[in-house]
Amino acid sequence: MANVNSWTVLAGIIIILLFLPNLTIISGIFTPSNENWEHMKEFVLTTYIKNSFILIGFTAVLTIIIGLSLAWMIARYQFPFHRFLKWALILPLSIPPFIGAYTYHGIVSYTGVVQTTLREHFGLELNPVYFDIMNLPGAIFIYTIFLYPYVYTITRVFLSQQSASLIESARVLGKGPWQVFFQVVIPVSRVSIIGGASLVVLEVLNDYGVVKYYGIQTFSTAIFQTWFGLGDIDSAIKLAASLMGIVIIILMVEKLLRGRRQYSYSTTKVRPLPRIQLKGAKAFFASVYCFVILSLGFFIPVLQLVDWLILTFGKIPMDEFLIYVKNSVLVAGISATCIVVFALIVGNFGRLVHGKFAKLLPKLTILGYSIPGAVIAVAVVTAFIALDRFLAPLYQVLGANSTLVLSVSLVMLITAYIIRFFAIGYNSIEAGYDKIGTDFRDASRSLGVGLTKTFFKVDVPMMKGAIISVFILVFIDILKEIPLTLILRPFNFDTLSTKAFQYASDEKIMEASQASLLIVCLSAIAIIIFNKFLDKEPK
Amino acid sequence: MYISIQDVCFSYPNSEGYALDQFSIDIEKGEVISILGRSGSGKSTVLRLLAGLENPTRGSFTIQEEVMFDQKAFLQPEKRGIGMVFQDYALFPHMSVSENILFGLFNMKKADKKKRLQEVLELVELQEFSNRYPHQLSGGQQQRVAIARAIAPNPHLILLDEPFSNLDAELQVKIRKDLRFILKKANITSIFVTHDENDAHALADRIVKLKDGSIELIGQPCDLLRNHTSTNVAGEITLQAKEFVKV
Repeated sequence: MANVNSWTVLAGIIIILLFLPNLTIISGIFTPSNENWEHMKEFVLTTYIKNSFILIGFTAVLTIIIGLSLAWMIARYQFPFHRFLKWALILPLSIPPFIGAYTYHGIVSYTGVVQTTLREHFGLELNPVYFDIMNLPGAIFIYTIFLYPYVYTITRVFLSQQSASLIESARVLGKGPWQVFFQVVIPVSRVSIIGGASLVVLEVLNDYGVVKYYGIQTFSTAIFQTWFGLGDIDSAIKLAASLMGIVIIILMVEKLLRGRRQYSYSTTKVRPLPRIQLKGAKAFFASVYCFVILSLGFFIPVLQLVDWLILTFGKIPMDEFLIYVKNSVLVAGISATCIVVFALIVGNFGRLVHGKFAKLLPKLTILGYSIPGAVIAVAVVTAFIALDRFLAPLYQVLGANSTLVLSVSLVMLITAYIIRFFAIGYNSIEAGYDKIGTDFRDASRSLGVGLTKTFFKVDVPMMKGAIISVFILVFIDILKEIPLTLILRPFNFDTLSTKAFQYASDEKIMEASQASLLIVCLSAIAIIIFNKFLDKEPK
Repeated sequence: MYISIQDVCFSYPNSEGYALDQFSIDIEKGEVISILGRSGSGKSTVLRLLAGLENPTRGSFTIQEEVMFDQKAFLQPEKRGIGMVFQDYALFPHMSVSENILFGLFNMKKADKKKRLQEVLELVELQEFSNRYPHQLSGGQQQRVAIARAIAPNPHLILLDEPFSNLDAELQVKIRKDLRFILKKANITSIFVTHDENDAHALADRIVKLKDGSIELIGQPCDLLRNHTSTNVAGEITLQAKEFVKV
């Protein structure tokens, strides 16, 4: 079993490294509780739990409705602007929710374009309360409209590549389009839908920017307040542990929902789903529906940002910005590549091993996604300082002046990104492995090809779509990341997101538009490349 | 004996009892063996165990005295030299017919690969389809590619999992004939599992009947026919068996 063992060792190392920060949190539960924690438990914890559940519950339902309906329309039907909409509907993912939050606040505020237009052109002076979006429903709207592409992307790839025979046989059995959708499409794509929705839920639980800006009390804001406001890291870790508890419940529910129904092709003959041409009113409404969602999630906020950019252009020197661009692409590119490779290794390990415990091990790694960036940052800093101390004699031999080498380098930031975003990679790669099943691997092995060579010649080419999806999703997420980058970046190392966040927090919303738009542009370019790869039909 | 399988037992994790219990058989070179049984009888488990895709609980399996597995050793699937044709063929969708066939010939020289490719394409009569992709082929053609791919590396043994289950009835009769012809012409020892008695009687030199993980009967098709209770079915099978014995 030499091959299995080398995969096990590699996966074991990755799992241990990714799981270490979780241990910091778990150990934090057992430290004696102090006054702050007792106070929080008595007075505010219920509010955090209630608000967090309202946010994740409504956002999950709404992103599933929007993401799935768009995925099905694009995968199944042909209508005007279909080719454009197919990739453009992912674009909202390129806008960080905190940028969306302040942009929409700007749009509907008293001095914003909506109220100003109503006042100046229609003479309507409406109660500003009607336009207040800095509340729970407002935050749900922001999350839904900027995070639905997680459900859309994963489900669309699944639907368009899944064996068309299932849908066609349902049609032949007398089912109409709606029955096919509810009785076949939803059940067979459940793994993808739940995979996408769980990413959305984890993203919402970890968000700091939107809830902070809108003044909503959730676990994230509480952790930051406790850590930076009260200087009480122990209570912050206890809050993080409570948050982890919620995430564990969510992961268990996810497992329960998809565990017993793991679909892979019943036949290994993969045939793309043929599309039906819509005509007349149906085609018109399909296009309108897609454009309304796309406008809310992309065009409207981008137009507002462009407007602000025109008003503030030149305030920030361009050469400075080019450095932020280079830094952002560098860290996001390296981290996303590492995550893809690690997710493939751990995912393959999950396929090779038998037994419940061994199958559960890879799941441990995705808990990193449940820990707020700030807490991961503390855990990573602690680990790297210890590592530097351990390696100090080696540094001396190599002639280094300082005893702190790794903990002041980009390696630390990239490690934190990998721990934080591994779940995105792992979930999609696991769904990809589920989809191709094990027959191709077994066929390759029966032809004398070892596990490792099979992995590169069979598994990887067949998973190309999933691999590229993962790379893009992670790349975009890292471009938008805030707390980890702020805390762990080396001295004088700025990225686009840290700059945008700094300006927005300082109420210089217009100045934040330049960095924000660059993030959107870089993400959009990545999405176009992504679309090019995914668009290639099987030969 | 060319192939010896002795007292093989297997049980799935978290389940009581054996999915396969004391499975034993000796096989001559070039023999075509059919494992016949209902679904859940353990017939596919036999193939997966012989291919090395599952670990047996106990028992031994040797080919020309070389141990594939016993109490001490377990040879990985890729080291066994056993070809396998999967129920739904498992043709790599990102590779053409020739790429699929060449996949297992990585140890050969370039010229030998080319020659072997032509040989097997000729054997399965698919010379003009070499550049097509699996989804561009019919079910019967896909099956022949799967057989060609499994045969190409000259395996000691070829395993076929329900080789006719994905084919329509008319094609089944033709493919049975073709398959026996291909296997006999290439003189390849083979084991195929099926739930269809007609397939087993038409194709096999010997039939192993499995029931609840245990061997119920082993014998030549004509021997088993004598035990067959339904005369109508037996009559039909006899006709088909005669037809294929001629091949």
